[in-house]
Amino acid sequence: MEDNAELKRFFENMKEQDQQLEIPPYPSYKTKKINFWIPAGIAASLALLGLIMNEPQPIPEAPKEVLIITLQEGENNEQEFVIEETTYLDVWESPTASLLTDY
Amino acid sequence: MNRQQLDHILQTYHRDAYIWARQCCSFEDELAKDVLQQVYLKILEGKAKLKNIDKAKTWLFSIIRYTSIDQLRASGKLVCLEESYEVPDVQEEIDHTDYQGLIKKLPKMQQEVLLMVFYHQMTIEQSAEVLQIGLGTARTHYDRGKKKLKEIITKTQTQEHYGR
Repeated sequence: MEDNAELKRFFENMKEQDQQLEIPPYPSYKTKKINFWIPAGIAASLALLGLIMNEPQPIPEAPKEVLIITLQEGENNEQEFVIEETTYLDVWESPTASLLTDY
Repeated sequence: MNRQQLDHILQTYHRDAYIWARQCCSFEDELAKDVLQQVYLKILEGKAKLKNIDKAKTWLFSIIRYTSIDQLRASGKLVCLEESYEVPDVQEEIDHTDYQGLIKKLPKMQQEVLLMVFYHQMTIEQSAEVLQIGLGTARTHYDRGKKKLKEIITKTQTQEHYGR
């Protein structure tokens, strides 16, 4: 198009002049990789904490609250008390069981 | 579209983008650098999204233009005028090789359409998309701009020829 020839020349010359322009370098934008590591770190810490908390604890020995007092006959036929501490009773006898005894 | 693809597009158009930013900022280098920085951040932070990769240049030019307008407004350098506003014919001597000075004598919209079509090899349709105006309006700016620029060039050449 002859009609635009003058304008095309004008803009071509303008472009040529712009070749002298100092173009700033393309900036490098770093990816924020830390964003991924923060939640991952928190998750790992929580998992570790969970493992530590769930470690089986040694079951504490039950206090020896049961006292068994037995009256026994010794070697010389004398009566003696034997006191024994334990956590359980092999045989339990009601304190009032003697009341049921028939005489 | 992932960040790597966007990065590639921006690098490809970096030179054109800077020149367009400069043209939108009345050929002020520092302002253009600021605008381009803001544009890249907007894009990489996902504030501006590219839907059609075939329209990458149009999309980028549009963001640059609107960011420039905001920047010029913030710095108090933007004066809102009617679209049909004609720049007053100030009798100042401009060298015919002062292309920027000659372009600046045109109304803003005419400048932009002519720069996109003749300098950046875009179509009038693409220019209309960048300016977000109708095709008919873009054609009007194009025709008027061409006519006006030819007059300015002729006038400057005549002044140079007879004035010296």
